[in-house]
Amino acid sequence: MGMDRREFIKSCSLVAVMGLLFGCRKIPLEELAGDLPSLKRFEDEVKLALSQAKKSLDLVKIPTPGALKIPGASTLNRFGMAIDLDSCDGCGKCILACNLENNVPLVPNEDAARGRFMHWVDMRGSAPFMCAHCGNAPCERVCPTGAANHTPDGLSAMMYKRCTGSRFCGANCPVQARKFNFNDAQKLGLARQFNREVPLRDKGVMEKCSLCLHRLQNDRLKFKTSLTVGETAEEWRGRGVKTACAEACPKNAIIFGNWLDEKSPLVKLTKNRVLYAPRELADLDPSVVFMRGRR
Amino acid sequence: MRREKEKKSRLFKWAAICFAVVFSFFLADFLMGEPRVPERAVGSIPFDHALHGDSIGLDCAACHTGSRASANAFMPSKADCMDCHRLPLTENPGIETLDSVLAKADDRPWSHKRHLPDHVVFHHGVHAAAGVACADCHGRGYMQNRYGAELFNMQSCLKCHRGETFKEKGFKPAATYCAACHR
Repeated sequence: MGMDRREFIKSCSLVAVMGLLFGCRKIPLEELAGDLPSLKRFEDEVKLALSQAKKSLDLVKIPTPGALKIPGASTLNRFGMAIDLDSCDGCGKCILACNLENNVPLVPNEDAARGRFMHWVDMRGSAPFMCAHCGNAPCERVCPTGAANHTPDGLSAMMYKRCTGSRFCGANCPVQARKFNFNDAQKLGLARQFNREVPLRDKGVMEKCSLCLHRLQNDRLKFKTSLTVGETAEEWRGRGVKTACAEACPKNAIIFGNWLDEKSPLVKLTKNRVLYAPRELADLDPSVVFMRGRR
Repeated sequence: MRREKEKKSRLFKWAAICFAVVFSFFLADFLMGEPRVPERAVGSIPFDHALHGDSIGLDCAACHTGSRASANAFMPSKADCMDCHRLPLTENPGIETLDSVLAKADDRPWSHKRHLPDHVVFHHGVHAAAGVACADCHGRGYMQNRYGAELFNMQSCLKCHRGETFKEKGFKPAATYCAACHR
């Protein structure tokens, strides 16, 4: 039985309508499948990373970080961290906390086997190791688009939407603190947005420790809208903010704070300690330092 | 004669296919396309900004409760309407229709999806606290129940943050480093 013209046109247009309707859906195909990675996979990956951790960490003594020496820098704030090597036992809870806070994606198995994780916090010499937010950052100098830049309050920030993936910054970082999205983690079902505050990164974008930039931003905005009499918006010191890793540390070995604020826990707790930085970063004015022993 | 008829029918066939394709595009757009303007007061309640704003001097924050202090301005709930509308407020005969509509409306008659991408930080309250008036950004369009969301882009943010626009208002130049608004 043949199809007459009328029938043919009818079925053609029906197919066209169905195709268009499908094309106009808001949810991408991958989300319809609903295969988000489980929390267990993130935990397992951290365990794997811990077992592959580098053993050595070459540290040299450095003076206490002071105000930034870049144009337009704030004289009130310079955020940073100190990692207490005397109390850290290398449990790796900071890595998982960071991954969940910043939606750090998983990596495919072949990358994991070679130790190429996206983790913003590595374990080196059985201590957490992340971007040091150098005051004189070598990565920012080579960024062709200005995606890697410094904030006035001492954060080496990464603007993901500006990043074109030249990877110059990664090549110029002496401690490999930067991680590149070689895989489209969202498409491969390796990314999961645990925290709505932090956007997911696309393929071809460099990322690294942001020093929980979103927490500082939120605190700054909150401060600005709840000023008491006599306070001005410029007086924000970021008091009370903690990074996810500092919050998760069971030994309080990671201390977050403001190097220029006398009331900050960072200044108080580093007062009589000897500060160290990785040898490669010692001349680059790092904001994230290590401490060991008493003076 | 016969040839002409065949030609005609072929022409008709192509016209029908073109029509089907164009029609299906329109149908798809009508059914699934995103509205160009975010959902406004087109719900069950016939709301008029002009009646509430300038004519009785109600502040925007009376209904958009978050606009002065919080990150989002928020849409009013039915309870916000009923704070005033519990009593018959005018002798306007329209009010009776309004009362019956209000009684039937659900608890949250309006919704507004934020069109801000998740790598951008915008805090409504901070701008209000800095002395920016609602109309500076939203224009007077809201008086006609139209909204100016399509006018906002990074250019307009930056111009004001650099102090290029609203010179007569004397706003302080605001932060222009990337991480002030981006994450």
